Amino acid sequence: MGNLSISALLVALSGIVIVFIMLAVLCMIIPLISKAVQSTQKPAVRERVSSPPPQRPAPPPRPAATPAAAPSGPSLIGVDEKTAACIMAIVSHETGIPLSELNFQRIQAI
Amino acid sequence: MSGFSFFGTLERILAESGFASFLNDPRNLIMIVVACILLYLGIGKKFEPLLLVPIAFGILLANFPLTGLLSEPAVAADGTVTSPGFLWVIYQGVQHAIYPSIIFMGIGAMTDFGPLIARPSSLLLGAAAQFGIFTAFLLALALGFDPAVAAAIGVIGGADGPTAILTASRLAADYLPAIAIAAYSYMALIPLIQPPIMRALTTTKEREVKMEQLRPVSKAEKIVFPIAVAIFVILLLPDTAPLIGMLMLGNLFRECGVTERLSDTAQNALCNIVTIFLGLAVGCKAAADTFLTWDTIKILILGLLAFMLSTVGGVLFGKVMYRISGGKINPLIGSAGVSAVPMAARVSQVEGQKANPANFLLMHAMGPNVAGVIGSAVAAGFFLKVFGG
Repeated sequence: MGNLSISALLVALSGIVIVFIMLAVLCMIIPLISKAVQSTQKPAVRERVSSPPPQRPAPPPRPAATPAAAPSGPSLIGVDEKTAACIMAIVSHETGIPLSELNFQRIQAI
Repeated sequence: MSGFSFFGTLERILAESGFASFLNDPRNLIMIVVACILLYLGIGKKFEPLLLVPIAFGILLANFPLTGLLSEPAVAADGTVTSPGFLWVIYQGVQHAIYPSIIFMGIGAMTDFGPLIARPSSLLLGAAAQFGIFTAFLLALALGFDPAVAAAIGVIGGADGPTAILTASRLAADYLPAIAIAAYSYMALIPLIQPPIMRALTTTKEREVKMEQLRPVSKAEKIVFPIAVAIFVILLLPDTAPLIGMLMLGNLFRECGVTERLSDTAQNALCNIVTIFLGLAVGCKAAADTFLTWDTIKILILGLLAFMLSTVGGVLFGKVMYRISGGKINPLIGSAGVSAVPMAARVSQVEGQKANPANFLLMHAMGPNVAGVIGSAVAAGFFLKVFGG
Protein backbone atom coordinates (compact mmCIF):
# COMPACT_ATOMS: atom_id res chain seq x y z
CA MET A 1 0.00 0.00 0.00
CA GLY A 2 2.70 2.48 -1.01
CA ASN A 3 3.72 4.85 1.77
CA LEU A 4 0.51 4.46 3.77
CA SER A 5 1.27 3.91 7.44
CA ILE A 6 -0.13 4.53 10.88
CA SER A 7 1.72 7.84 11.05
CA ALA A 8 0.16 8.91 7.74
CA LEU A 9 -3.30 8.10 9.09
CA LEU A 10 -2.47 10.12 12.19
CA VAL A 11 -1.36 13.08 10.06
CA ALA A 12 -4.62 12.96 8.08
CA LEU A 13 -6.73 12.59 11.20
CA SER A 14 -4.98 15.38 13.07
CA GLY A 15 -5.23 17.57 9.95
CA ILE A 16 -9.01 17.33 9.68
CA VAL A 17 -9.34 17.70 13.46
CA ILE A 18 -7.22 20.87 13.42
CA VAL A 19 -9.25 22.34 10.54
CA PHE A 20 -12.45 21.59 12.50
CA ILE A 21 -11.08 23.02 15.75
CA MET A 22 -9.83 26.16 14.03
CA LEU A 23 -13.11 26.85 12.27
CA ALA A 24 -15.17 25.82 15.31
CA VAL A 25 -13.28 28.33 17.45
CA LEU A 26 -13.87 30.97 14.77
CA CYS A 27 -17.52 29.94 14.82
CA MET A 28 -17.60 30.75 18.53
CA ILE A 29 -15.57 33.95 18.21
CA ILE A 30 -17.69 35.54 15.47
CA PRO A 31 -20.87 35.89 17.59
CA LEU A 32 -18.76 37.35 20.39
CA ILE A 33 -17.29 39.89 17.98
CA SER A 34 -20.76 40.69 16.66
CA LYS A 35 -22.08 41.25 20.18
CA ALA A 36 -19.07 43.37 21.13
CA VAL A 37 -19.40 45.47 17.99
CA GLN A 38 -23.15 45.89 18.44
CA SER A 39 -22.70 46.94 22.06
CA THR A 40 -20.22 49.66 21.09
CA GLN A 41 -22.39 51.05 18.33
CA LYS A 42 -24.67 54.01 18.98
CA PRO A 43 -28.17 52.94 19.99
CA ALA A 44 -29.68 54.51 16.88
CA VAL A 45 -27.35 52.59 14.58
CA ARG A 46 -27.95 49.38 16.54
CA GLU A 47 -31.66 49.82 16.24
CA ARG A 48 -31.42 50.38 12.50
CA VAL A 49 -29.41 47.19 12.02
CA SER A 50 -31.34 44.90 14.31
CA SER A 51 -34.91 45.99 13.69
CA PRO A 52 -36.78 46.62 10.45
CA PRO A 53 -37.66 50.21 9.48
CA PRO A 54 -41.18 51.38 10.33
CA GLN A 55 -43.75 50.20 7.84
CA ARG A 56 -46.04 52.48 5.99
CA PRO A 57 -49.73 51.70 6.52
CA ALA A 58 -50.46 48.60 4.50
CA PRO A 59 -53.05 48.88 1.75
CA PRO A 60 -56.06 46.63 2.02
CA PRO A 61 -55.15 43.10 0.90
CA ARG A 62 -56.32 41.92 -2.45
CA PRO A 63 -58.89 39.19 -2.44
CA ALA A 64 -56.78 36.92 -4.66
CA ALA A 65 -53.53 37.37 -2.72
CA THR A 66 -51.10 34.45 -2.75
CA PRO A 67 -50.08 32.88 0.56
CA ALA A 68 -47.47 34.88 2.46
CA ALA A 69 -43.86 33.81 2.52
CA ALA A 70 -42.08 32.22 5.48
CA PRO A 71 -42.53 34.20 8.70
CA SER A 72 -39.04 35.71 8.44
CA GLY A 73 -39.33 36.80 4.80
CA PRO A 74 -41.17 39.73 3.21
CA SER A 75 -44.93 39.56 2.94
CA LEU A 76 -45.96 38.76 -0.62
CA ILE A 77 -49.14 40.26 -2.02
CA GLY A 78 -50.20 39.15 -5.45
CA VAL A 79 -46.77 37.71 -6.37
CA ASP A 80 -45.49 34.17 -6.09
CA GLU A 81 -42.31 33.35 -4.20
CA LYS A 82 -40.25 32.68 -7.29
CA THR A 83 -41.05 36.12 -8.71
CA ALA A 84 -40.31 37.69 -5.33
CA ALA A 85 -36.91 35.94 -5.22
CA CYS A 86 -36.14 37.27 -8.70
CA ILE A 87 -37.15 40.81 -7.70
CA MET A 88 -34.93 40.69 -4.60
CA ALA A 89 -31.98 39.43 -6.64
CA ILE A 90 -32.51 42.17 -9.29
CA VAL A 91 -32.74 44.93 -6.66
CA SER A 92 -29.55 43.62 -5.03
CA HIS A 93 -27.75 43.49 -8.37
CA GLU A 94 -28.90 46.91 -9.56
CA THR A 95 -28.14 48.71 -6.29
CA GLY A 96 -24.91 46.83 -5.62
CA ILE A 97 -26.11 46.11 -2.07
CA PRO A 98 -25.63 42.49 -0.97
CA LEU A 99 -28.88 40.62 -0.29
CA SER A 100 -27.81 40.10 3.31
CA GLU A 101 -27.93 43.89 3.82
CA LEU A 102 -31.31 44.43 2.20
CA ASN A 103 -34.46 44.05 4.23
CA PHE A 104 -37.60 43.54 2.18
CA GLN A 105 -40.79 44.18 4.10
CA ARG A 106 -43.38 43.65 1.43
CA ILE A 107 -43.51 42.83 -2.27
CA GLN A 108 -46.84 43.69 -3.83
CA ALA A 109 -48.19 43.41 -7.35
CA ILE A 110 -49.56 46.75 -8.56
CA MET B 1 32.15 35.84 -48.84
CA SER B 2 33.66 33.54 -51.40
CA GLY B 3 32.74 30.38 -49.40
CA PHE B 4 29.09 31.34 -49.02
CA SER B 5 26.64 28.66 -49.99
CA PHE B 6 22.92 29.38 -49.95
CA PHE B 7 21.91 25.76 -49.45
CA GLY B 8 24.66 25.22 -46.87
CA THR B 9 23.38 28.18 -44.82
CA LEU B 10 19.81 26.94 -45.15
CA GLU B 11 20.89 23.48 -44.00
CA ARG B 12 22.70 24.98 -40.99
CA ILE B 13 19.68 27.10 -40.01
CA LEU B 14 17.42 24.05 -40.18
CA ALA B 15 19.90 21.89 -38.22
CA GLU B 16 20.04 24.47 -35.42
CA SER B 17 16.28 25.16 -35.38
CA GLY B 18 13.70 23.93 -32.95
CA PHE B 19 12.27 21.64 -35.64
CA ALA B 20 15.53 19.67 -35.72
CA SER B 21 15.41 19.29 -31.94
CA PHE B 22 12.08 17.51 -32.22
CA LEU B 23 13.84 14.72 -34.12
CA ASN B 24 16.22 14.19 -31.20
CA ASP B 25 13.52 14.34 -28.51
CA PRO B 26 9.89 14.27 -29.69
CA ARG B 27 8.52 14.68 -26.14
CA ASN B 28 8.51 18.45 -26.54
CA LEU B 29 6.32 18.01 -29.58
CA ILE B 30 3.89 15.93 -27.51
CA MET B 31 3.82 18.69 -24.90
CA ILE B 32 2.98 21.22 -27.61
CA VAL B 33 0.06 19.01 -28.62
CA VAL B 34 -1.00 18.86 -24.94
CA ALA B 35 -0.81 22.67 -24.80
CA CYS B 36 -3.01 22.95 -27.90
CA ILE B 37 -5.57 20.56 -26.36
CA LEU B 38 -5.64 22.67 -23.19
CA LEU B 39 -6.03 25.82 -25.28
CA TYR B 40 -9.01 24.18 -26.99
CA LEU B 41 -10.53 23.28 -23.59
CA GLY B 42 -10.01 26.83 -22.36
CA ILE B 43 -11.20 28.68 -25.46
CA GLY B 44 -13.59 26.19 -27.05
CA LYS B 45 -15.10 24.61 -23.95
CA LYS B 46 -14.59 27.61 -21.62
CA PHE B 47 -12.99 25.51 -18.83
CA GLU B 48 -11.73 28.24 -16.47
CA PRO B 49 -10.40 30.14 -19.51
CA LEU B 50 -8.90 32.99 -17.49
CA LEU B 51 -6.34 30.58 -16.08
CA LEU B 52 -6.29 27.68 -18.50
CA VAL B 53 -5.42 29.88 -21.50
CA PRO B 54 -2.27 31.43 -19.94
CA ILE B 55 -1.30 28.05 -18.41
CA ALA B 56 -1.62 26.32 -21.78
CA PHE B 57 0.31 29.07 -23.54
CA GLY B 58 2.99 28.83 -20.85
CA ILE B 59 3.28 25.11 -21.61
CA LEU B 60 3.54 25.94 -25.30
CA LEU B 61 6.33 28.49 -24.77
CA ALA B 62 8.23 26.34 -22.29
CA ASN B 63 8.39 23.40 -24.70
CA PHE B 64 9.82 25.24 -27.69
CA PRO B 65 13.40 23.97 -27.79
CA LEU B 66 16.46 26.26 -27.60
CA THR B 67 14.59 29.41 -26.52
CA GLY B 68 16.34 29.80 -23.18
CA LEU B 69 13.10 31.15 -21.71
CA LEU B 70 13.63 29.12 -18.54
CA SER B 71 17.40 29.64 -18.22
CA GLU B 72 18.56 30.44 -14.73
CA PRO B 73 21.03 33.30 -14.27
CA ALA B 74 24.60 31.94 -14.37
CA VAL B 75 28.01 33.36 -13.60
CA ALA B 76 30.35 33.10 -16.58
CA ALA B 77 34.07 32.36 -16.30
CA ASP B 78 34.93 36.05 -16.58
CA GLY B 79 32.60 36.89 -13.69
CA THR B 80 29.75 38.35 -15.72
CA VAL B 81 26.24 37.23 -14.86
CA THR B 82 24.13 36.01 -17.77
CA SER B 83 20.57 37.26 -17.97
CA PRO B 84 17.94 34.77 -16.81
CA GLY B 85 15.17 33.65 -19.16
CA PHE B 86 11.94 35.63 -19.19
CA LEU B 87 9.79 32.75 -17.90
CA TRP B 88 12.35 31.94 -15.19
CA VAL B 89 11.87 35.47 -13.85
CA ILE B 90 8.08 35.13 -14.06
CA TYR B 91 8.24 31.80 -12.20
CA GLN B 92 9.88 33.42 -9.16
CA GLY B 93 6.48 34.83 -8.24
CA VAL B 94 5.16 31.30 -7.78
CA GLN B 95 8.39 30.01 -6.23
CA HIS B 96 8.13 32.63 -3.49
CA ALA B 97 4.33 32.42 -3.04
CA ILE B 98 3.76 35.95 -4.33
CA TYR B 99 1.13 35.38 -7.04
CA PRO B 100 -1.19 33.03 -5.08
CA SER B 101 -1.15 35.46 -2.17
CA ILE B 102 -2.01 38.44 -4.37
CA ILE B 103 -4.80 36.43 -6.02
CA PHE B 104 -6.11 35.75 -2.51
CA MET B 105 -6.14 39.50 -1.88
CA GLY B 106 -8.33 39.87 -4.96
CA ILE B 107 -10.61 37.07 -3.76
CA GLY B 108 -10.88 38.78 -0.38
CA ALA B 109 -11.80 42.07 -2.07
CA MET B 110 -14.52 40.30 -4.06
CA THR B 111 -15.95 38.30 -1.15
CA ASP B 112 -18.85 39.31 1.06
CA PHE B 113 -18.40 37.51 4.38
CA GLY B 114 -21.82 38.77 5.53
CA PRO B 115 -23.59 35.39 5.16
CA LEU B 116 -20.81 33.75 7.18
CA ILE B 117 -21.02 36.38 9.94
CA ALA B 118 -24.81 36.05 9.97
CA ARG B 119 -24.61 32.27 10.36
CA PRO B 120 -21.21 31.32 11.86
CA SER B 121 -22.14 27.62 11.93
CA SER B 122 -21.45 27.72 8.17
CA LEU B 123 -17.79 27.49 9.15
CA LEU B 124 -18.33 23.87 10.22
CA LEU B 125 -19.62 23.03 6.75
CA GLY B 126 -16.51 24.68 5.34
CA ALA B 127 -14.41 22.46 7.60
CA ALA B 128 -16.28 19.26 6.70
CA ALA B 129 -15.77 19.94 3.00
CA GLN B 130 -12.00 19.67 3.50
CA PHE B 131 -12.53 15.92 4.04
CA GLY B 132 -11.42 15.24 0.46
CA ILE B 133 -8.04 16.89 1.08
CA PHE B 134 -7.07 14.42 3.76
CA THR B 135 -8.54 11.32 2.14
CA ALA B 136 -6.84 12.17 -1.17
CA PHE B 137 -3.60 12.62 0.79
CA LEU B 138 -3.97 9.05 2.09
CA LEU B 139 -4.87 7.73 -1.36
CA ALA B 140 -1.83 9.45 -2.88
CA LEU B 141 0.38 7.85 -0.23
CA ALA B 142 -1.17 4.47 -1.03
CA LEU B 143 -0.25 5.02 -4.69
CA GLY B 144 3.38 5.53 -3.72
CA PHE B 145 3.78 9.32 -3.73
CA ASP B 146 6.13 10.92 -1.20
CA PRO B 147 4.28 12.38 1.80
CA ALA B 148 5.01 16.00 0.80
CA VAL B 149 3.84 15.38 -2.77
CA ALA B 150 0.77 13.51 -1.46
CA ALA B 151 -0.09 16.53 0.68
CA ALA B 152 0.15 18.87 -2.32
CA ILE B 153 -2.07 16.51 -4.34
CA GLY B 154 -4.59 16.33 -1.50
CA VAL B 155 -5.00 20.11 -1.45
CA ILE B 156 -6.62 19.85 -4.92
CA GLY B 157 -9.66 18.68 -2.92
CA GLY B 158 -10.00 22.14 -1.41
CA ALA B 159 -11.15 23.36 -4.86
CA ASP B 160 -9.00 26.40 -4.38
CA GLY B 161 -6.51 27.09 -7.18
CA PRO B 162 -4.19 29.59 -5.47
CA THR B 163 -3.93 27.42 -2.34
CA ALA B 164 -3.19 24.32 -4.43
CA ILE B 165 -0.53 26.22 -6.38
CA LEU B 166 1.09 27.65 -3.27
CA THR B 167 1.23 24.25 -1.56
CA ALA B 168 2.54 22.52 -4.70
CA SER B 169 5.22 25.18 -5.25
CA ARG B 170 6.51 24.57 -1.72
CA LEU B 171 6.07 20.80 -1.44
CA ALA B 172 6.02 19.37 -4.97
CA ALA B 173 7.42 21.85 -7.50
CA ASP B 174 7.87 19.19 -10.21
CA TYR B 175 4.18 18.32 -10.03
CA LEU B 176 2.97 21.94 -9.95
CA PRO B 177 1.55 22.03 -13.50
CA ALA B 178 -0.35 18.75 -13.12
CA ILE B 179 -1.77 19.84 -9.75
CA ALA B 180 -2.76 23.30 -11.00
CA ILE B 181 -4.35 21.94 -14.18
CA ALA B 182 -6.27 19.32 -12.18
CA ALA B 183 -7.45 21.93 -9.66
CA TYR B 184 -8.69 24.44 -12.24
CA SER B 185 -10.15 21.84 -14.61
CA TYR B 186 -12.22 20.21 -11.89
CA MET B 187 -13.32 23.62 -10.57
CA ALA B 188 -14.72 24.26 -14.04
CA LEU B 189 -16.47 20.89 -13.90
CA ILE B 190 -18.09 21.45 -10.50
CA PRO B 191 -21.59 21.81 -12.05
CA LEU B 192 -21.10 18.30 -13.46
CA ILE B 193 -19.23 16.67 -10.56
CA GLN B 194 -21.30 17.81 -7.58
CA PRO B 195 -25.01 17.42 -8.47
CA PRO B 196 -25.08 13.59 -8.76
CA ILE B 197 -23.35 13.29 -5.38
CA MET B 198 -25.69 15.84 -3.80
CA ARG B 199 -28.77 14.04 -5.12
CA ALA B 200 -27.45 10.61 -4.12
CA LEU B 201 -26.77 11.63 -0.52
CA THR B 202 -29.95 13.61 0.20
CA THR B 203 -33.65 12.87 0.22
CA THR B 204 -36.19 14.97 -1.69
CA LYS B 205 -37.57 16.20 1.64
CA GLU B 206 -34.12 17.44 2.69
CA ARG B 207 -33.51 19.18 -0.64
CA GLU B 208 -36.86 20.96 -0.43
CA VAL B 209 -36.04 22.71 2.86
CA LYS B 210 -36.47 26.47 2.66
CA MET B 211 -34.06 28.30 4.90
CA GLU B 212 -34.91 31.38 6.95
CA GLN B 213 -33.67 34.76 5.79
CA LEU B 214 -30.25 35.67 7.25
CA ARG B 215 -30.04 38.47 9.78
CA PRO B 216 -28.65 41.81 8.58
CA VAL B 217 -24.95 42.28 9.32
CA SER B 218 -23.68 45.73 10.27
CA LYS B 219 -20.81 47.47 8.53
CA ALA B 220 -18.78 47.50 11.74
CA GLU B 221 -19.04 43.73 12.08
CA LYS B 222 -17.80 43.33 8.53
CA ILE B 223 -14.84 45.61 9.23
CA VAL B 224 -13.84 43.85 12.45
CA PHE B 225 -14.22 40.36 10.93
CA PRO B 226 -11.11 40.32 8.66
CA ILE B 227 -8.95 41.85 11.36
CA ALA B 228 -10.08 39.33 13.98
CA VAL B 229 -9.74 36.33 11.66
CA ALA B 230 -6.24 37.41 10.57
CA ILE B 231 -5.11 37.82 14.17
CA PHE B 232 -6.57 34.52 15.35
CA VAL B 233 -5.73 32.23 12.43
CA ILE B 234 -2.23 33.55 11.70
CA LEU B 235 -1.22 33.50 15.36
CA LEU B 236 -2.36 29.89 15.60
CA LEU B 237 -1.00 28.69 12.22
CA PRO B 238 1.73 31.10 11.06
CA ASP B 239 2.18 29.16 7.78
CA THR B 240 -1.22 30.41 6.66
CA ALA B 241 -0.01 34.03 6.85
CA PRO B 242 0.49 34.65 3.09
CA LEU B 243 -2.96 33.34 2.15
CA ILE B 244 -5.12 34.31 5.13
CA GLY B 245 -3.26 37.61 5.56
CA MET B 246 -3.84 38.69 1.97
CA LEU B 247 -7.41 37.31 1.89
CA MET B 248 -8.32 39.38 4.93
CA LEU B 249 -6.44 42.48 3.73
CA GLY B 250 -8.39 42.35 0.46
CA ASN B 251 -11.63 41.98 2.41
CA LEU B 252 -10.71 44.89 4.68
CA PHE B 253 -10.13 47.05 1.58
CA ARG B 254 -13.65 46.13 0.49
CA GLU B 255 -15.42 46.67 3.78
CA CYS B 256 -13.65 49.57 5.50
CA GLY B 257 -15.19 52.11 3.13
CA VAL B 258 -12.13 54.37 2.85
CA THR B 259 -10.03 52.37 0.37
CA GLU B 260 -12.39 51.99 -2.54
CA ARG B 261 -9.64 52.55 -5.12
CA LEU B 262 -7.46 49.87 -3.54
CA SER B 263 -10.40 47.48 -3.37
CA ASP B 264 -11.18 48.13 -7.02
CA THR B 265 -7.55 47.57 -8.02
CA ALA B 266 -7.26 44.37 -5.97
CA GLN B 267 -10.48 42.99 -7.48
CA ASN B 268 -9.81 43.92 -11.08
CA ALA B 269 -6.53 45.25 -12.49
CA LEU B 270 -4.11 43.66 -10.02
CA CYS B 271 -5.93 40.35 -9.93
CA ASN B 272 -6.00 40.20 -13.74
CA ILE B 273 -2.32 41.09 -14.09
CA VAL B 274 -1.26 38.49 -11.55
CA THR B 275 -3.56 35.89 -13.12
CA ILE B 276 -1.60 36.25 -16.36
CA PHE B 277 1.73 35.82 -14.56
CA LEU B 278 0.41 32.94 -12.45
CA GLY B 279 -0.89 31.06 -15.48
CA LEU B 280 2.31 31.54 -17.46
CA ALA B 281 4.46 30.56 -14.47
CA VAL B 282 2.51 27.37 -13.81
CA GLY B 283 2.50 26.42 -17.48
CA CYS B 284 6.20 27.00 -17.95
CA LYS B 285 6.98 24.33 -15.34
CA ALA B 286 5.30 21.67 -17.48
CA ALA B 287 8.44 20.10 -18.84
CA ALA B 288 8.04 16.90 -20.82
CA ASP B 289 10.18 14.77 -18.50
CA THR B 290 8.03 15.52 -15.44
CA PHE B 291 4.63 16.02 -17.08
CA LEU B 292 4.49 13.09 -19.51
CA THR B 293 4.49 10.44 -16.80
CA TRP B 294 2.00 8.09 -15.17
CA ASP B 295 2.18 10.32 -12.10
CA THR B 296 0.29 13.02 -14.02
CA ILE B 297 -2.52 10.57 -14.78
CA LYS B 298 -2.57 9.51 -11.11
CA ILE B 299 -2.74 13.15 -10.00
CA LEU B 300 -5.67 13.86 -12.33
CA ILE B 301 -7.56 10.83 -10.95
CA LEU B 302 -6.70 11.68 -7.33
CA GLY B 303 -7.76 15.28 -7.90
CA LEU B 304 -11.17 14.15 -9.13
CA LEU B 305 -11.56 11.83 -6.14
CA ALA B 306 -10.51 14.65 -3.80
CA PHE B 307 -13.21 16.94 -5.24
CA MET B 308 -15.85 14.22 -4.96
CA LEU B 309 -14.88 13.30 -1.40
CA SER B 310 -14.90 16.95 -0.33
CA THR B 311 -18.42 17.26 -1.70
CA VAL B 312 -19.40 14.08 0.17
CA GLY B 313 -17.94 15.48 3.42
CA GLY B 314 -19.81 18.77 3.03
CA VAL B 315 -23.17 17.20 2.17
CA LEU B 316 -22.96 14.58 4.95
CA PHE B 317 -22.17 17.27 7.50
CA GLY B 318 -25.03 19.28 6.03
CA LYS B 319 -27.28 16.33 6.84
CA VAL B 320 -25.96 16.34 10.40
CA MET B 321 -26.82 20.04 10.68
CA TYR B 322 -30.23 19.36 9.15
CA ARG B 323 -30.92 16.90 11.97
CA ILE B 324 -29.46 19.09 14.73
CA SER B 325 -31.38 22.17 13.55
CA GLY B 326 -34.65 20.27 13.39
CA GLY B 327 -34.84 20.42 9.62
CA LYS B 328 -34.10 24.14 9.27
CA ILE B 329 -30.83 23.76 7.35
CA ASN B 330 -30.87 22.46 3.80
CA PRO B 331 -28.01 19.92 3.48
CA LEU B 332 -27.42 21.02 -0.12
CA ILE B 333 -25.51 24.06 1.15
CA GLY B 334 -22.89 21.66 2.57
CA SER B 335 -21.49 20.95 -0.88
CA ALA B 336 -20.66 24.65 -1.21
CA GLY B 337 -18.09 24.13 1.55
CA VAL B 338 -15.56 23.37 -1.18
CA SER B 339 -14.12 26.77 -1.82
CA ALA B 340 -14.78 27.25 -5.52
CA VAL B 341 -16.38 30.68 -5.03
CA PRO B 342 -19.09 31.28 -6.14
CA MET B 343 -19.60 28.32 -8.47
CA ALA B 344 -20.20 25.77 -5.71
CA ALA B 345 -22.80 28.06 -4.10
CA ARG B 346 -24.53 28.41 -7.45
CA VAL B 347 -24.71 24.62 -7.76
CA SER B 348 -26.44 24.48 -4.34
CA GLN B 349 -28.88 27.15 -5.52
CA VAL B 350 -29.66 25.30 -8.76
CA GLU B 351 -30.16 21.94 -7.04
CA GLY B 352 -32.29 23.53 -4.32
CA GLN B 353 -34.54 25.18 -6.92
CA LYS B 354 -34.89 21.90 -8.81
CA ALA B 355 -36.30 20.31 -5.65
CA ASN B 356 -38.42 23.31 -4.71
CA PRO B 357 -38.82 26.15 -7.24
CA ALA B 358 -39.42 28.63 -4.39
CA ASN B 359 -36.08 27.76 -2.81
CA PHE B 360 -33.45 30.50 -2.73
CA LEU B 361 -30.28 28.98 -1.28
CA LEU B 362 -27.62 31.18 -2.87
CA MET B 363 -26.98 33.50 0.07
CA HIS B 364 -27.16 30.59 2.54
CA ALA B 365 -24.63 28.63 0.47
CA MET B 366 -22.24 31.59 0.29
CA GLY B 367 -21.52 31.14 4.02
CA PRO B 368 -20.03 27.63 3.71
CA ASN B 369 -18.50 28.66 0.38
CA VAL B 370 -16.35 31.43 1.84
CA ALA B 371 -15.73 29.31 4.95
CA GLY B 372 -14.24 26.75 2.58
CA VAL B 373 -11.68 29.33 1.44
CA ILE B 374 -10.54 29.74 5.04
CA GLY B 375 -10.72 25.97 5.65
CA SER B 376 -8.58 25.04 2.65
CA ALA B 377 -6.00 27.68 3.61
CA VAL B 378 -5.87 26.21 7.12
CA ALA B 379 -5.49 22.68 5.70
CA ALA B 380 -2.68 23.88 3.43
CA GLY B 381 -1.02 25.64 6.36
CA PHE B 382 -1.21 22.41 8.34
CA PHE B 383 0.52 20.45 5.55
CA LEU B 384 3.18 23.14 5.14
CA LYS B 385 3.83 22.97 8.88
CA VAL B 386 4.06 19.16 8.91
CA PHE B 387 6.09 18.69 5.72
CA GLY B 388 8.19 21.81 6.01
CA GLY B 389 7.40 23.84 2.92
